[in-house]
Amino acid sequence: MAMGTQVVSSSTQESMAPPVGVMIRTENLWKTYDMGEAIAVHALSGVTFELERGEYVAIMGPSGSGKSTLMNLIGCLDTPTSGKYWLNGRLVSELSDDELAYIRNKDIGFVFQTFNLLSRASALHNVELPLVYSGVPAKERLEKAQEALRKVDLVERMHHKPNELSGGQRQRVAIARALVNSPSIILADEPTGNLDSATGEEIMGVFERLYEGGNTIVLVTHEHDIAAHAHRIIHVRDGKIERDETVE
Amino acid sequence: MAVLSQPRVHLHKLSPRAGRRAGVWVTSREAFWIALEALRTHKLRSFLTLLGVVIATTTLIVVMSVINGMNLYIADHIANLGANVFILYQFNWTTSSEAYLKALRRNKAIRIEEFEFLRDNIKGYKNIGAEAGLWGDSDVKYKGHLMHEVNLSAETPNMIDIGQAKVESGRFINDSDYQHESMVCFIGHDLVDEFFPSLDPLDKEINVRGIPFRVIGVAARIGSTFGQSQDKFVAIPLTTFQKLFMARPELAVNVQAWDAQQMMVLEDQVRALMRARRHIPYKEDDNFGINASDTIMALWRQLTGSIFAVTVGIVAVFMVVGGIVIMNIMLASVTERTHEIGIRKSLGARRGDILMQFVIEASVMALTGGAIGVLLSLMISKIVNIFFTSNVPLSAVLVGLFLSAGVGLFFGIYPASKAASLEPIEALRTEA
Repeated sequence: MAMGTQVVSSSTQESMAPPVGVMIRTENLWKTYDMGEAIAVHALSGVTFELERGEYVAIMGPSGSGKSTLMNLIGCLDTPTSGKYWLNGRLVSELSDDELAYIRNKDIGFVFQTFNLLSRASALHNVELPLVYSGVPAKERLEKAQEALRKVDLVERMHHKPNELSGGQRQRVAIARALVNSPSIILADEPTGNLDSATGEEIMGVFERLYEGGNTIVLVTHEHDIAAHAHRIIHVRDGKIERDETVE
Repeated sequence: MAVLSQPRVHLHKLSPRAGRRAGVWVTSREAFWIALEALRTHKLRSFLTLLGVVIATTTLIVVMSVINGMNLYIADHIANLGANVFILYQFNWTTSSEAYLKALRRNKAIRIEEFEFLRDNIKGYKNIGAEAGLWGDSDVKYKGHLMHEVNLSAETPNMIDIGQAKVESGRFINDSDYQHESMVCFIGHDLVDEFFPSLDPLDKEINVRGIPFRVIGVAARIGSTFGQSQDKFVAIPLTTFQKLFMARPELAVNVQAWDAQQMMVLEDQVRALMRARRHIPYKEDDNFGINASDTIMALWRQLTGSIFAVTVGIVAVFMVVGGIVIMNIMLASVTERTHEIGIRKSLGARRGDILMQFVIEASVMALTGGAIGVLLSLMISKIVNIFFTSNVPLSAVLVGLFLSAGVGLFFGIYPASKAASLEPIEALRTEA
């Protein structure tokens, strides 16, 4: 069931929204960094793929392959130089900064390699943050955040600050934070990169359960062992999709 | 482990501000929390940052309090000449220094004959009295005790009904004393404290400027004005004063009306009679002064107005300096917290949310400075009130707080907009 590699060339098809059920669709995404003196670096050169709801996909590639750039575009942290990107049926490649912030808040749950937790805030408050920016009142926020922490088995430690938690626990807090707003996709960027292999496996177990619960997960990694947990692997090299394989 | 929920597919409308009325409240509460946290973690830094605002607020409130205190004092002690009383005197008390110098040359003191002339010719007054005196340089003795710098005042009997003094014991100078130029005196409470702490002062004989007087009455305590006791006086009949100390005293004629409206009428009558008696051509100014409470208050306001204007200037300078210091520290704080801003943006914080976070932080900081300033000024005001006068008006406290919050708001905008315009990935990449 390879669905990413077909290149859409017709201009009439380009502007058509993807059918319902397609979570992500990119069309010929380019990201070019202008380094001055007429030197342009193409981090992405024409990436086109589709991703359905409920998929568990790994984006793999060596460093410098453009996979992080691709993740930033998917996560609406960055905008493409050219090309189109639909998320959940909405063309997000043409949204304003504030609209992108809204998408990040509602549709995307990030899990970063370095956890990116606020060091001065408790685990609970870290998990509450996306809800704060959704304008959820305090009581409802507390309930939802506790619910999310329960999913990662960290309710007992919710009043601890990140520096009082182990690496694995911190990453679970980050996962709870990603989950708390019920996003369309969970976007994990080398989520085990800063963890030992045992803890890494534990975190991958959490992702597995999330997948089984019906979440759409995009995992960016350069490790085969980690990528092997996914059910589809998109190999990226030199800013292009090299291979798109389905793992059973 | 709990069963993981099915993610909802939501094709929500893309209007970031829709339904966000509650949201603004939620995010500003978060911002407030962050601000307090920042204050708590950087206590010394915050304190040093806020020094300018603290000093500005303190200065403003202390000066406003002292002026207010003096206003109350003036209203209570000086301007309150008595109900519906105006005073005819050689000068207007409420003139500029130029006018005063001019008046010094051409104005003539009010004399006994003029007082008597007015007394006999004005119609409808409630009371008319006169007083003169030797202010603050009389020695008074009782047995071995000596008191310097006592005010010697010379009064007509009805001054007790016009002026501030009230009889505590004994009686005031009466018509008989006045007609017979009696050697009697009515004394202030300070003299009782000094000479008769445990004795009944009535009918004792005291020496005023070397001349014996019999005490006939004691005044109720008045208190002090600007640290000057108002109870250190000896009042004697005006006629006795003329006989012993000054044949032609310079008078202050006190005219008391029945009500405020009649006061105007009486003032006009006095002016007309005096001009007629002194043959002043109609083009020329009065060569005497008519003083009433409201004119004194007007002069006072003019005086305090200029003090206040200077204070406003000083406070403005302090506030601007304080604001710039806050701006500086906020810029440093934005740089320090770039990574945090990145995290917040990745979780969906909008430009406006970050902007508000930093503006609120700056305002909370400045407001804290303002609050410290208020506390400090309350203490200073208490101390000042011991030896001078000070009364903190609520308006000064409010102005101080609003002003400091405003300064934080204004000087927080630039750093906040810098923070808000950071690119999310750039900010995330910055090391924490």
